[in-house]
Amino acid sequence: MSITTMLVTMSDGMLKTFGIFFLTLLGALPLGMVVALLKKSRFLVVRGIVGIYISVVRGTPLMLQLLAWYFGPYYLFGWEIGGWRYPAIIVGFVLNYAAYFAEIYRGGIESIPVGQYEAAEVLGYSHTQTFMRIILPQVIKRIMPAITNEIITLVKDTSLAFTLAYQEVFSIAKQIAASQTSFMPFVIAGVFYFVANYLVEFVMKRIEKSMDYYK
Amino acid sequence: MILEMNNIQKQFDGLEVLKDISFGVDSGEVVSIIGPSGSGKSTLLRCATFLETIDGGEIKYMGKAAAHTNAQGKAEYVTAKELRQFRSYYGLVFQQFNLFPHYSILKNLIDAPIRVQKRSREEAMDTAMDLLRKMGIDSKADAYPFQLSGGQQQRVAIARALAMKPEILFFDEPTSALDPELTGEVLKVIKQLAEEKMTMVVVTHEMAFAKAVSNRVIFMDGGVIVEQGDPHDVFDNPQEERTKRFLSVFDR
Ligand SMILES: Nc1ncnc2c1ncn2[C@@H]1O[C@H](COP(=O)(O)OP(=O)(O)OP(=O)(O)O)[C@@H](O)[C@H]1O
Ligand SMILES: [Mg+2]
Repeated sequence: MSITTMLVTMSDGMLKTFGIFFLTLLGALPLGMVVALLKKSRFLVVRGIVGIYISVVRGTPLMLQLLAWYFGPYYLFGWEIGGWRYPAIIVGFVLNYAAYFAEIYRGGIESIPVGQYEAAEVLGYSHTQTFMRIILPQVIKRIMPAITNEIITLVKDTSLAFTLAYQEVFSIAKQIAASQTSFMPFVIAGVFYFVANYLVEFVMKRIEKSMDYYK
Repeated sequence: MILEMNNIQKQFDGLEVLKDISFGVDSGEVVSIIGPSGSGKSTLLRCATFLETIDGGEIKYMGKAAAHTNAQGKAEYVTAKELRQFRSYYGLVFQQFNLFPHYSILKNLIDAPIRVQKRSREEAMDTAMDLLRKMGIDSKADAYPFQLSGGQQQRVAIARALAMKPEILFFDEPTSALDPELTGEVLKVIKQLAEEKMTMVVVTHEMAFAKAVSNRVIFMDGGVIVEQGDPHDVFDNPQEERTKRFLSVFDR
């Protein structure tokens, strides 16, 4: 099999990898904020549940979580899980990354000096205005490096979807490598992840730069 | 009376920080509050600006009660919505400036008037530029707070408070975070406001300034007002032993 053929065979997997990547970000970036705010809820029960969710997600391997999301419904409720593979992957990734993003957001929110809240309060801003106009923009600037790290990890973590036999780039690479007894597919996959992360860093640096006008 | 605080009581987990404090501020008055560290000066300002809730007593702005002691002996505030109305009566200048770092100087001055007071952009801009000119920092309108010296930042903070057109302005040690050579420019601005009959309450350690600018000096110690009166009386002829002792430290 020529390298070109391998590339063509793997290109479909690359698209699928991108699919997991973007859907995870689309879900986890906003959901993380919801989780971070719930973690600061007035209600002990809410804080408790969110706290357990975060520590379970961070304390167990993502691979295991994916297996649980996929097979759980069958073993727990005897449900038919055909067609559930892709949703299970996305649910697993989104809930996993939302927990990590939530912790980053929370750290960012807590790092804003209390004087910013007090100045806003005295000026008469509502709680929502204070958060959206004064606090959040500063939080975003501060957490950018941590978010970049997390996104880079996500690019590599997408390969874990192979656990559920999903045909993303890494699964396909493994199959071709086995059938052709060649190491080349792994080299291609490696270059693919590397280039993807290079792009991530490039884009994130641009975003960080766009917020460089203040300190 | 612009502000009346009657029988104010405030505790921090059992520690009585304000013990039955009463004082009022008339329109056009400049009141200085002095006193040793921990005497409750900041707490008093924070209670007046609703950053802390009082345990007992009464807070009135423009003759209207924002908080009072109810039949059960507990302080009771008006609704959150009504409190927002009260917030438009006063401004507060912090020791640490607390400018919004992500907003330009101009935006720091116009954002709240537009978003909170729903004033027109043009009007807010006009007011802001006038204030910046008055503070001598109109050339910095498009700069960001981090590009300004401490003295300039504090003058912006004063302008930001004034942009809301408050009836009364509170200052909590406005020059304490500044290098000594920068305090003058901030004190000058406050002095200028005093000459324009802006109603102000200034917590300060600058005794010469308090003496020169204020109509009345309040000396606090241990959560009570020990002595108050005309600055010349309080500074040159204090009646209370505690006041004498406190002032003697500054007498060199
Ligand atoms: N949020 C708080 N929690 C607990 N104790 C507090 C709090 N704020 C103030 N205190 C205590 O209340 C007392 C009065 O503090 P306050 O800051 O009002 O004093 P101050 O007169 O402004 O002093 P300084 O001149 O040092 O600014 C101090 O004993 C202080 O430790
Ligand atoms: Mg203080």
